[in-house]
Amino acid sequence: MCNYNERDRASMGQRVALELDLVKGFRFFDPHIHMVSRTTDDYQAMADAGVVAVIEPAFWVGQPRTGIDTFRDYYSSLIGWERFRASQFGIKHFCTIGLNSREANNEALAEEVMELLPFFIYKEGVVGVGEIGFDDQTAAEEKYYRLQLELAKEAGLPVQVHTPHRDKTKGTSRSMDIALEHGLDPGMVIIDHNTEETVKEVLDKGFWAAFTIYPFTKMGNERMVEIVKQYGPERILVNSAADWGISDPLAVPKTAALMVKSGLPKATIEQVCYQNAVAAFSQSGQLDEAMLNEKTSIDQGKKFAGNSVLRGGQQPRRDADSIIIS
Amino acid sequence: MNDVNAGFSAERMVFQEWVANQIAPHVAEGEWQALLDQVDRLRADSQPHRLARVFTAIPRNLKSVDKDLRITLAEADKRTGQLPLVVTDWPLVRLIRVWVLMNIPALEETAYVSLIERLFKYGEMEELAALYAALPVYDFPSAWRLRCTEGIRSNMAPVRQAIMVNNHYPSQFLDEGAWNQLVLKAFFTDEDIPHIIGLKQRNNARLAEALVDYAYELHAAKRTINPMLWILVAPFVDERAYRLMEQIILKSQQLHERKAIAYAFQMSSYRPATDFMTGNSELTDLLDTADTPWVGWPEQTN
Repeated sequence: MCNYNERDRASMGQRVALELDLVKGFRFFDPHIHMVSRTTDDYQAMADAGVVAVIEPAFWVGQPRTGIDTFRDYYSSLIGWERFRASQFGIKHFCTIGLNSREANNEALAEEVMELLPFFIYKEGVVGVGEIGFDDQTAAEEKYYRLQLELAKEAGLPVQVHTPHRDKTKGTSRSMDIALEHGLDPGMVIIDHNTEETVKEVLDKGFWAAFTIYPFTKMGNERMVEIVKQYGPERILVNSAADWGISDPLAVPKTAALMVKSGLPKATIEQVCYQNAVAAFSQSGQLDEAMLNEKTSIDQGKKFAGNSVLRGGQQPRRDADSIIIS
Repeated sequence: MNDVNAGFSAERMVFQEWVANQIAPHVAEGEWQALLDQVDRLRADSQPHRLARVFTAIPRNLKSVDKDLRITLAEADKRTGQLPLVVTDWPLVRLIRVWVLMNIPALEETAYVSLIERLFKYGEMEELAALYAALPVYDFPSAWRLRCTEGIRSNMAPVRQAIMVNNHYPSQFLDEGAWNQLVLKAFFTDEDIPHIIGLKQRNNARLAEALVDYAYELHAAKRTINPMLWILVAPFVDERAYRLMEQIILKSQQLHERKAIAYAFQMSSYRPATDFMTGNSELTDLLDTADTPWVGWPEQTN
């Protein structure tokens, strides 16, 4: 995912100072972020920037898993520890559960994962099946994509579709065609990692179009601003997909700030950076506006979670600008 | 079909029904009826997938339940048979889940344990809290020792609290090593220490020694020491404990800390400690336990 090649500064466009004051008072929902790979500093920065909720799709962990137990423990961590970790920062954590496309290619293991999925998709806070779809666009990927679409249909859950990096346009069309073939309502399917090349078809076919603001390899946020200007805010979602690569957990608030600077109306910005994510994933019955409005109780127990994020008695916030650690 | 109530003692039936009556008013009638039907089927046939589905889907199916509603049942601990259940400030969904678990029919031990262990294996945070809160009501109580010990290691505060606080299971079934870990961990994680059941009954010299070590560590780091620590140390005050306690009682600015140490000195059989109290009669005021977490400690039986 990450490229370490030096990029010509000039090709990266004009540098704009980070001014999150522009989005003070906004509420953000990042509907695609892999928090298991992120630090507590990220959670803190996200909370400070106005992120109130996240969705963590089950994905590839950077190298292939070799056994079913690691899948189970990973899914368990998404509905357990990671949800708790987020709550300590006042962030609501939801997830989508699925077999990612890369690992669908290990068919023996994929079969076992398919048997595991029904034990997880009905859990509290699971707002969809995801992220599933194509990577190399192999026959095995297609097989497990189809099986999981059926699973989502049966469970009445939205689907979060990962679109391939290579041969993206064709892969995106194919992902949508297959979903329609299985009788899924396009309104229940979120097509992720869109570009200027894919957005029109996705919106025309009635699917949700999500955009990943991810440096170097996916969308940049200046391009995102142009897309919203061109297509309007309907059915468009912005996410960070921040993970173990060089990525940015503040991609959603930063994009919103750029949108403010670019003169987009507040209502439009809120729609693509918050409201649409709520609308798309509330169809799971596992999340609603009221849930997001209630103040996450960072109660006594959670606040002093001891051998976890916040050690007993310690001030919850570390002073990043001091060399003193106490 | 056989009598679906077979395998439940009369007391247990009465208790289950009583719990059900506490839950029912908070759930819409149709949803409650549907759950009762599911539980009836579960009593007749406790296939793992059936139990897992009912147990997991409770918040999904009971849409009428106020997610923020917390429930305290003053009478719950009067249960006869097995261990009492203490329901204090539980989310209603947790109580419903525990009630469902109480409805698993009599099975032989291996089948019963593996049925419940399966729920632990796939549990999300709230499910785990319910599963651990239910430790006192499971059949084959001695079969859950390792599970209980494992839960104490959890990093998820609500899960850990469901075991440590207001739960009769640990003090009845854990060996000394595991019990001491529970108490030490409770201090490390700032749990509600006075509501750990069995604190007084299971207090022991090895625990006191570890607590004194911990107090030294906190003192060196200039961190706050929970005064309840000194209450547990009281019967085992020795030279090493006394040295630190004397320093703190003389210098601390925190009233509860000084009060706890005065109380511990008073209760102690270590001569320098009792001498210290007689030699410093102005400290007698510190022995007033009103508004302290250890009020009523001398009369406490568990």
